[in-house]
Amino acid sequence: MVIADRVASRRVARARTGIRPSRGYRVFRVVNAIVLTGIVVVTLYPFVNIVARSLSDNAYIVAGQVNLVPRGFNIAAYKAVMSDPLFWTNYRNTVFYTVVATAVALVLTTCYAYVLSKKHLKGRTALVGIAVFTMFFSGGLIPNYVLVTSLGLKNTVWAIALPNAISVFNLLVMKAFFESLPVELEEAAAVDGLNTYGILLRIVLPLSKAVVATMLLFYAVSFWNSWFSAFLYMDQMDLLPVTVYLRNLIAGATDATSTGGGLGSATDVVQSAATIQAVTIVLTVLPILTVYPFIQRYFVSGVMLGAVKG
Amino acid sequence: MVQLSRRHLLFAAGAAAVVSVAGCGDDADKKDLTDNRVGAMDKYGVGDQFKATTSVSFSMLYNNHPNYPLKNDWLFWSELTKRTGVKIEPVAVPLSDYEQKRSVLIGAGDAPLIIPKTYHPQEEAYVSSGAILPVSDYLDLMPNFTDSIEKWNLQPEIDALRQEDGKFYLLPGLHEKPWQDYTLAVRMDILEELKIPVPQTWDDVYTMLKAMKAKYPNVYPFSDRFSKPNPAGNLLNMLALAYGLEGAGWNFHHTSWDASAKKFVYTGASEKYKAVLEYLHKLVAEGLLDPETFTQTDDQARQKLASGKSFVISANAQSIVNDYRPDMAKTLPNARVAKIPFPIGPAGPMNPASRLENGIMISTKARDSKNFVAMMQFIDWLWYSESGKEFAKWGVEGVTYTKDSSGKHTLAPDVDVLGLNPKGTKHLQKDFGFYNGIFAYGGKPELVQGFFSPEEVEFQNVLNARPPVPVPPPHPLSDAEREQVTLWETPLKDFVYGNSLKFILGQRDLGEWDAYVNELNGKNMGSYLDIINKAYDRYQKNHG
Amino acid sequence: MSSPGALRPPPTANPPAAPSGARPVRRKRRRTWRQALRRDWQLYSLAVLPLLFFLIFRYLPMLGNVIAFRRFRPGGSIFGDYWVGLRYIRMFLSDPTFWDVFTNTLVLGGLTLLFCFPLPIVLALLLNELRSTRLKRFVQSVSYLPHFLSIVIVAAMVMQLLSIDGTVNQLVRAVGGEAVPFLQQAGWFRSIYVSSEVWQTVGWGTILYLAALTTIDEDLYEAARIDGANRWRQTWHVTLPGIRPTMVTLLILNIGTFMAVGFEKILLLYNPLTYPTADVISTYLFRVGIVSNNFSYAAAIGLFESVIGLTLVLSANAISRRAVGASLW
Repeated sequence: MVIADRVASRRVARARTGIRPSRGYRVFRVVNAIVLTGIVVVTLYPFVNIVARSLSDNAYIVAGQVNLVPRGFNIAAYKAVMSDPLFWTNYRNTVFYTVVATAVALVLTTCYAYVLSKKHLKGRTALVGIAVFTMFFSGGLIPNYVLVTSLGLKNTVWAIALPNAISVFNLLVMKAFFESLPVELEEAAAVDGLNTYGILLRIVLPLSKAVVATMLLFYAVSFWNSWFSAFLYMDQMDLLPVTVYLRNLIAGATDATSTGGGLGSATDVVQSAATIQAVTIVLTVLPILTVYPFIQRYFVSGVMLGAVKG
Repeated sequence: MVQLSRRHLLFAAGAAAVVSVAGCGDDADKKDLTDNRVGAMDKYGVGDQFKATTSVSFSMLYNNHPNYPLKNDWLFWSELTKRTGVKIEPVAVPLSDYEQKRSVLIGAGDAPLIIPKTYHPQEEAYVSSGAILPVSDYLDLMPNFTDSIEKWNLQPEIDALRQEDGKFYLLPGLHEKPWQDYTLAVRMDILEELKIPVPQTWDDVYTMLKAMKAKYPNVYPFSDRFSKPNPAGNLLNMLALAYGLEGAGWNFHHTSWDASAKKFVYTGASEKYKAVLEYLHKLVAEGLLDPETFTQTDDQARQKLASGKSFVISANAQSIVNDYRPDMAKTLPNARVAKIPFPIGPAGPMNPASRLENGIMISTKARDSKNFVAMMQFIDWLWYSESGKEFAKWGVEGVTYTKDSSGKHTLAPDVDVLGLNPKGTKHLQKDFGFYNGIFAYGGKPELVQGFFSPEEVEFQNVLNARPPVPVPPPHPLSDAEREQVTLWETPLKDFVYGNSLKFILGQRDLGEWDAYVNELNGKNMGSYLDIINKAYDRYQKNHG
Repeated sequence: MSSPGALRPPPTANPPAAPSGARPVRRKRRRTWRQALRRDWQLYSLAVLPLLFFLIFRYLPMLGNVIAFRRFRPGGSIFGDYWVGLRYIRMFLSDPTFWDVFTNTLVLGGLTLLFCFPLPIVLALLLNELRSTRLKRFVQSVSYLPHFLSIVIVAAMVMQLLSIDGTVNQLVRAVGGEAVPFLQQAGWFRSIYVSSEVWQTVGWGTILYLAALTTIDEDLYEAARIDGANRWRQTWHVTLPGIRPTMVTLLILNIGTFMAVGFEKILLLYNPLTYPTADVISTYLFRVGIVSNNFSYAAAIGLFESVIGLTLVLSANAISRRAVGASLW
């Protein structure tokens, strides 16, 4: 992003010193600013709404009277959710699973992407094919479950980290980045006696901080938000991530009516307040929102997605 | 044991299946339980306290409720172990996706031994593979269960659970009396104002709505809730039952038993169902029923009631106390809302609720366990004995409740549940683990109604004076038939839903009924009925 | 290992993919493999762990797909109990509902592709024209936000916003309209799905394009200006060709995953009233396969879907290689 800004401003500066921008272009710029501001509003509104709900009295939410400003301001719901020890246990799990799974994914993806980026490598097409094929063909739920349990991974972090270690999309993005690096540096390093591992660690990776940071974010966000593997492979409540906790809370609230009808017993009727949902949403998203501006500056310079000429 | 079966499955899955199927057919082998008696009581009968002779533990699938999440230090667990010598190892699954995980666990051969919270006919999918135990073969180990069936004349209901082989695979929860919770709630103050008696029949309901509309022309007197995910889930079901069908709406039954013709008919294509739609169409056309009923959210329906924009709404005991009265307390302090007795339709007075609750499946693996007999005795005690049910619901005498000389239970003063002791500091469900939907349901009316308010007990008394609905005869499908039928069911159901709404709202004329039935036929309704009726005949011939 | 670069032969345009080939050449080929291994064994060693991952966690479970041709009974063998041949294939091909959901999948996938592919390009270009760095940075940050939300949360938001008393209907009422039960009307579902998809993905999608924009040589703009090109023509003749490789790669990937419309989001948003437009292959499979336990039927449809996906990506790749000389591999 830093680079993007610099280039853009340079370009604008040049345009200013050079030919005066046409009247049409000036109008366009104003319209453009307005359009983009509109996009910001549309994007931001649901977030503001959720925050407002989380701080409102349940009665006003039921009545549909909460938009941008909290009504019947109270933080009782925050207290309620945050005083549930299970919430924090699950929260810790989410952090732990995300860190481990992201680390594993980064190592494996980097290794394979680097190998795939070597165009001279014999069998490279087959190696790419092996990866791309899995984008379309996969095993069913039950074979996957049997696999994970028979490997003894159930109820461990590996059940989440290993089966999802490589995203083929990310792999292709990273491969394209490695391909765009100048070959000369690596060749020089090889002449200096560095082996392949050395080249990857000391030459390529330092040049690739940006793509690594981006991959880190891509993976971390997807693991942070995932719930299905954990739901499938974890048998104890205190092993679940916070996404499952949240899902149970929301689904529990809507399930009461669907399973009613004399089928469920009265103990199953759930009265989960709308406020509690909003609070849990805010608390789940917040850490990502606080962390990501720090990584953001790497994004734009990090992803150099280009197609192979061929 | 679980470990072994996992490896078994991965490396010799094919062989394992052959073995398990073969093992199923052997009848002599089944009855020999000498190797499975470890921990079991030699003499265990009705009224006995089950206590395992050695300490044993059983794995159990646990449907974890967000309102009272599982805690390992609950009094329920420790007291259960103290009384029975049994430790339950729960495999906790969030309520939100319980059924899916159950399906995967059984499919992968990794299911716990005890699989509760199973609603008939969910167990049918697992019958043909031999993954779950035909529990009917082992009822001699369950004295309380068999005693209740006899005492409460539940045999017809139980027979409806039987599969093609004449056995049943689900241990259902048992009620002595049906418990119908859902009905309509009406603004009693409006009734008094209009000098109308409490309606008894659906015709009375229509008359009442007419009168309400005459007095308040600007309101839709009836605006209903429970429309998600299935439109007008409760309303359609109540009407279908009252018109003599097996159920609709959220209790959707593809077929209904026609006793006079001795065959099954397709519910959504029957004349009775047409009459239901005509009735609802009349209500909509005359402005008595809010058209938004079929699409609105519960919250919106509640809002309308609370703001005096409607006077009638679907209700159960909890929604009266937890939703409507608090909603109205602020906006309409003089309003009084209460349940009316389940309105009577052309099928005559009845108590429409089933006396069977959700139930327990037992994994076939359990049969090979040396503790198998002890496990069946344990299940019999906890879910079906008087003391077991009392324990699961009320907890421990002197700690969570007290009992007077007449046997009446009272919650301990510091224990709250359902808001009965608002000052209580501890919660019967959250802090002690009792009155948990997995363990506590069914039983005698006194037990079921333990936490009911006087007005709810009164409502139940009125309904219990009515005869229970007859149970349709068993018509179990073969494995191949079931596979075919499930593929037809989804499109049929979707089509019935969509067109019911069109007929009711007047988007489609009821004169097109025959065309609609033909369209259903195009979706394999005829073949569907053939399979069901053939299955009925076959069962009659083989087991009837 | 002496300098791998120096020894490297010019990369062959079409290296044979599979080692199994005609017998006469086999010997020669084995020798080249041996050479390749001797020279690049360190590179190959890096691929071992990822290959193990693909083998164990991707290819091994694929064996389970055999149940598309065998009868699977829940609780029986995970590889099915007996052969049924093409029974399940025939079953879904003659299932009218399957073709309904197939059409819905195509329509939703097509609409998603139509909007979610080009809009990030447009947004990236618009952002690129912003003069105020601060505004640009702010817009960028905000537009990434939705990507970070899980689908559960997005679905909850959509349902809240579109409920009868939700914000959208408040606006509708404010301009004198009648409230619309959006989520219960089949006619609205596609718009709702696609706009929520746009909302969630477009901002994030710009990252890749903004990156590509930074690589465009400034001199090209200079030259275009000297030729008298205005801003619009510069964009057309310089900017767009500059980001073409990125566009092509993403387009191929998007086409390949065309059929994989957001299962979870639809599952959370649809209801029986919107099935006519909302029900897609994956949700139908969910109801038929998971809820009704017809795993064999589900596997058969799943295979069909996979074949289509793979065919799409291969053809898109081939077309792109011919037409613009760029491909994924």
